[in-house]
This record gives sequence, structure tokens and C-alpha cells, in this order.
Amino acid sequence: MDGAVEGGDGLFRADSVTKVYPNGIRANDGISLHVAPGEVYGLLGPNGAGKTTLVKQVIGLLKPTSGRITLGGHDLVADPAAARQLCSYLPQAQVPIDSFGAREAIVLCGRVRGGDRAAVERRADELVEALDLGEWRNKRGIGLSGGVKRLVGFAMVTVCPGRLVILDEPTNDVDPLRRRMLWEQVRQLGDRGTGVLLVTHNVLEAEKAVDRLAVIDNGRLIAEGTPSAMKAHDRGNLRLQLMIAPGHDVPGTPPFVRHAALVGRNLMTVIDETDAAAGITWAREAIGAGVAEEYALSATSLEDAYIELTGHSGQNGDDDGGDGDDGGGG
Amino acid sequence: MAAWARSYRRMVAWDLADLRLYLPVLSAVLVLQGAGFVLGIGLLFSNMPESAALFLTTGAPVMNLVTAGLIFEPQLVAEQRIRGSYEFIQSLPVPRSASALAWYSVAQVIALPAVILTLLTGVVRYHLHLAVTPVIVPAVVLTCLTGVLIGLAVAHGVTAPMVANLVSVVMIFVMTGFSPVAFPASQLPGWLQTANQWLPFGSMAAIVRSALTNGALTNGALTTSVPRAYLVVGVWAVAAALVVAWAQGRRR
Repeated sequence: MDGAVEGGDGLFRADSVTKVYPNGIRANDGISLHVAPGEVYGLLGPNGAGKTTLVKQVIGLLKPTSGRITLGGHDLVADPAAARQLCSYLPQAQVPIDSFGAREAIVLCGRVRGGDRAAVERRADELVEALDLGEWRNKRGIGLSGGVKRLVGFAMVTVCPGRLVILDEPTNDVDPLRRRMLWEQVRQLGDRGTGVLLVTHNVLEAEKAVDRLAVIDNGRLIAEGTPSAMKAHDRGNLRLQLMIAPGHDVPGTPPFVRHAALVGRNLMTVIDETDAAAGITWAREAIGAGVAEEYALSATSLEDAYIELTGHSGQNGDDDGGDGDDGGGG
Repeated sequence: MAAWARSYRRMVAWDLADLRLYLPVLSAVLVLQGAGFVLGIGLLFSNMPESAALFLTTGAPVMNLVTAGLIFEPQLVAEQRIRGSYEFIQSLPVPRSASALAWYSVAQVIALPAVILTLLTGVVRYHLHLAVTPVIVPAVVLTCLTGVLIGLAVAHGVTAPMVANLVSVVMIFVMTGFSPVAFPASQLPGWLQTANQWLPFGSMAAIVRSALTNGALTNGALTTSVPRAYLVVGVWAVAAALVVAWAQGRRR
């Protein structure tokens, strides 16, 4: 546990972290970011962007090719045992709880993390309640659905959290109602002073949960800021979404369209709000010509900024497969 | 030290809970292995000579002790790797040594009923008289611990799950068919006798058998002394522990 670091006590900091796999793939390229105690920090990016590679280096499962990763006064690269003590980690894959009752798994994980029995049991009961897991409280993991298992995994790593909680796609498979409950618990982690490093594809949900976020693409950090700052340059803009009819080419965009990207069959465009009427006329003509099936006009969101930055949609279902970078894809 | 002991206790609780659906099955498999081997080999003889029966009966429990560590852990870790949960386990804030010793304790618990039932089967079936000495305790502990450490070395050192499973199965074949565990070393060709002076399984059998027969039997003629057998097994335990430490400490 050596290695003093600049910055306030408890500050997590990645400095110029670069990871090049033996097969030559540069999964992370000079990534620098910091997470303050109590801050919920989102890592957004398409599949293979390098998000999971980055968090695996934080927890000591991978070693950076160069760069520093520190938490308070601890050098997490030099001392992976300290990393495991200070950080708790929910990986993308399900936690191995087939033989455990849901509450039992949460309590046992808290105890393994060094928690006092009474405090861990009390907190486990709070989490079971808060995530609406009561009906599965004593049910073995082997009989739980993927979404419930995911929630139990979340409770396992947060029942006795380290100073930094790393969550890799925590809402995968979770139903919409319990997603809200989970995000509320993520917020509460921050309120209790725990830093949260959150890897997600789900831009719309992340927008509400995070204090700050970074967008990573091709291993590089390409944007960072608060959700408001990230979409500031879209202020006064609207999103006009056109669903292209099967078998038809994407129609040419009129000059007032500021930005356009094709996501699946959806042509996502950003227009000035003063061009709303012209945009609707253009969309209706496309539908009339049979080129498009429907359109939607809405306020721009963080997702539009994200699409502009990466050219990918941040919605679940579009690219929900995770980084899966065990072989170096990162 | 207190933190280490706490981690050890909690990982024992974790392992026992993790295996609770399978513990009775694993123990039953070992009983079948040991007692089945003792009874099955007997079918080859109309009247098995007492010396052969004693060799067989005192060797089969060694197979139980080794198999518990050598087969189960690589299979469990292989399954964790396939399911993707290996990294979650590796991220828990537990000293690796506490985690390894916790698994040894569980393996010992799984193996012990099989060891006792295998011995009882041989004693009853062949009307044997064993002269068990207190040295049986360190002999059993060292044998099981070494089997566990070799199993852990394979489990964590070989990252391809299928290859890890194959390596552990091959080692079991070597133990069963090509090591002086259930038969005397003198039955083996010279080069295998020499090889088994350095492989762990014959030496494991020598120390357990010696403790079960008050030193009357080791692993047959042309082999080395019991103290040397302890040394060989001890060296394998240390070497395997070093491989485990290296494999768990390495980061790509």
C-alpha cells in the first residue's frame, strides 16, 4: 500500500492509462479521469470501446501497459491486493450464486468484504427491501431469473462497499421498475460518500444517475463532463427521428439537418427548433413516398450528443453485448 | 493475522455454501471411487493374497485424498471461467493463501468420509488388520494438501478450461495406472520406478501406507524411505504453492 498520490484523500484517479494486449490491440489509449468520493461517474461507449478493460485494470485483473491508477494514497497498479480491499466490483457476467439463497449471498459477500455481522445483515435486509427482492429472499440462485440475479449481485457488491464501487452494466436483464430502484441505490451510494464508476451502454438511464460521465471510443476518452454540459451545444435543437421502411434507401437529408446518423432502421437527425415545421413536412413527404414508416419529434437528450460523438446508439438492444474483452477486444 | 483468520473462516463458509448442492454427490463419488476400486480389483482374484489386499486397501484412500483436490477444483474453476464468474471471485478482498487453505479444508472434509469407508471396505472384504499410528494425521493432511495445491496450480495456471480439465484427468490416470499407489513399485518397469521416485503419487502412498501399517509397508521394494517420501511430497506441495501464487498474481 505504498505510493503517495496528489489529490484529496479518497480521490480515484486514472492517469494516462494505456493498455495494449499481446495481440497488439490498443484497448485503452492514454485515458485520464478522476472520481471524487461520493461522485457517480459514468463510462459510456460502444462495444469494444475499452470500458471494461479500464475497470479490470482498476480492480487488478489486468495490468496497464503504462499509466497510473490511484485511490487516495494507494497505487492500485502496484498493489492489487489494496485494489481488491478498496474497490468492490460487479462484473458483466452473473455472480456465482447457484447454491446460495439471495439474502445469504448478500450477507456472505458483506462478511467476506470484512463487514460486521449485525451491520451486514441489517444492510442486506435494507437492500432486499429497496430492490424489491423480498419474494426471492431465501430462494437459491439457480432458480432466479437473470434480472433478479443481477440485482442480487448488485446488492452483494454494495452491501459493504469499498471506497470505490465499480458497476459494469448493472441493469442488464433488470425490469424497468427495478431499474429505477437500482439507480436510486446507486445515487444513495454516492450520497453516502462512496465513489461509483459506472460502465453502461444505457445513455438515457445514465443521464439521470451520473454526476459526470466520459465517452470512450476506440480506447480513447473523447468527451467528459456533466450530462448538462455534454448536451449544452444541442440546446435549442430538436431530435427528428425517421423510421426507414424496409427495403428502402435512406433519403437525402435537407440542408437544415445539423446532424444525422443511421441507427438500425432509424435515421436520427438533429434540427434547430425553428426548423420544426420544415422537418415535419420533410418527414411526412418521406412517409408519403413510402420511404419511411413513421417519425418522431422530441427534445434532444444526452443520447443525441453521444450519437454525434460515437456514431452509435446508446439504447439497450442496439449494442447490449458488453465489451467482452477477455481476448483483448476491450 | 486476525484479518487473515477471518478471511479464511469466511471463505470456508463461502465454499461450503457454494458446494452445498454438490457436497453429498462429491463425497459419494469418492466413496464409489475408493470402495469400488477395492472391491472391483478383488473380482480379478478367486483368493487375493493378503499382501496384495493390504496394498490395495491402503492405496485406495490415497486416491480419494488426491482426487478431492486434483479433480474438483480445476473443474470448479473451469466452470467459473466458462460462466464468467471467475473474475468476481478473484476480485474479492481475500488473501490468496486464506482462500487456498479454505478450499483445502473443504476438500479434506469431502475426502475424509470416503477415506474411512474405503479402508473399512478393504478391511471387511479381505479380513485385514491395520496397525494405524498417529502419524496418519500428518500423512493424510500432507497428501490431501498437496493434491489440493497441485489442483489449484492446474486450475489457475491453465487458463483454457478444457485443457485444465484434461490435465487433471491425465494426472489421475497417471496416479491410478502408472504410480505405485495400489500396487508395489516392483511391478513397474525400471524407468517408471525411477520416474515415480520424483513424482508425488507413489510417495503419497508410501507415507499413508506406512502410517496405516505401523511402518510395515511403504510402496514396495526398490523404492526410497518414508522420510524421503515426505520430502518428495513436501517439495511438490511447495512447488505447487509457488505456481498457484504466480498464477493468481499474474496480470495480463
